[in-house]
Amino acid sequence: MSCWYGVSAPQDDIAVSTRIRLARNINGIPFPSKMTPEQFKTVNVLVKKAILESDTPYSKSLKYIAMDDIPEIERFAMVERHIISHRFASDYQNRAIIISEDESICIMLGEEDHIRVQVLLAGLQFEKAYKIADSIDSLLCNGLDLAFDERIGFLTECPTNLGTGLRSSVMLHLPLIESRGEMSGLADSISKIGLTVRGIYGEGTKAIASLYQISNQVTLGISEKNAIDNLKIIATQLIQKEQQYRKQLNRIKLEDRCMRSLGILKNARILTSSEMMTRLGDIKLGQSVGIIGSDILPIKLLIEGQPNMIMRKSGGLSPDERDIERANIIRNSL
Amino acid sequence: MLCEKCGESLATTHIRSVINGKVTEKHLCSHCAANEGYSDIKGSNLSQMLSSMFGDTASAPKNTQVTRCGCCGSTFSDIAKSGKCGCSECYTTFYEQLLPYLKRVHGSTKHIGKIPSRASVTEKTDDNIDELRALLSRLVGEEKYEQAAVVRDKIKELEGDTL
Repeated sequence: MSCWYGVSAPQDDIAVSTRIRLARNINGIPFPSKMTPEQFKTVNVLVKKAILESDTPYSKSLKYIAMDDIPEIERFAMVERHIISHRFASDYQNRAIIISEDESICIMLGEEDHIRVQVLLAGLQFEKAYKIADSIDSLLCNGLDLAFDERIGFLTECPTNLGTGLRSSVMLHLPLIESRGEMSGLADSISKIGLTVRGIYGEGTKAIASLYQISNQVTLGISEKNAIDNLKIIATQLIQKEQQYRKQLNRIKLEDRCMRSLGILKNARILTSSEMMTRLGDIKLGQSVGIIGSDILPIKLLIEGQPNMIMRKSGGLSPDERDIERANIIRNSL
Repeated sequence: MLCEKCGESLATTHIRSVINGKVTEKHLCSHCAANEGYSDIKGSNLSQMLSSMFGDTASAPKNTQVTRCGCCGSTFSDIAKSGKCGCSECYTTFYEQLLPYLKRVHGSTKHIGKIPSRASVTEKTDDNIDELRALLSRLVGEEKYEQAAVVRDKIKELEGDTL
């Protein structure tokens, strides 16, 4: 079955993916930073029961996996596929996930909160992603005594997630806004309306291949719908701006840039992660303006060319060996 | 982005230095960052930032009678230092102290999103109605009709809420 990055979706020429995350906790059990191994296991058992023993399609379509059963390379490959957080891959003992086959739904148990429901879809699909996350949340609300206060909403370990516990985000490919040097100014403006801009791998990471994640920061005093609508409005404006700049580009210069990158990816024998991502960004740009055919899946290749994604297939490799293997993988895919 | 030193792990520590107007950037994984002595940068900055958002409470001298959360044992000072609550009960114990912080972070202290429909809420209301019905029949028996009318209206109100 295809993963979220292997399918085409609405507005995916610029909007790479949409993510919805809900943070939930269970009453009577301390938050993860104060939990004992037994309490982690209790959370796993309770959530597993609430979802996998529910009379809904989720009981069959989702699967429970103990993180202790997942080897290290695969755990970090999951981070590279954006399924779990880096922190969760590192602090994995006694934790578990409940995951769909296509990995678009992943519920982390024992991350910063007891339960983190994540829905990740390709393209711009906020409504669909939220609907799925909300339906899973309703199972949790029905089956568990969730930590909730009528005044301040769902209670979370970090008060910055309090209220709705909702973090919605969209990953946008913005090479032309970036090349005009407008991104840092836009990021400042965006931060003033309760949204934040980050690099491809979340908090503390820099933008690579002109991929930017924009997400909501405020979770208290705003409804789920309004938080998502605000983000969607900004994402739509950025997409329109990027599209406008793409139309104004000098065609021959753009063709040169994209075809050079395609040439390198088709012929390189050694390819670093950084160069691969930059070149694939050019391929994605070229596809959106009709220079390069749509048979290449640049985001899929970008993820499959990450270090742990390579090693889960080829076994442990040194960085130099990985660069050679990466070049092979990309060359054979084009 | 990969760590520029080992070239193997994901770079999660990004250091930008400006010395005499010259800007240099380093992108390191947590292991290489620790080796270069940057391991505490993120933690200390975050802690300082969160402490400043909590106000002066975090650095205030310890009171001899410190309130502790009855569930996890956290004090407000623990929460202010780490920026994290120990359990859901902390929000009840330190509600008043947390409100100014919540206002600074979110610009609001009132939840207006989804409310879970929990069985326990309905059960609680049903228990209240049963108690009020018993009180109503006692008041009628004692011919305290004015008070009985108030209780009857309350029962109607609660029954309406549960529909």
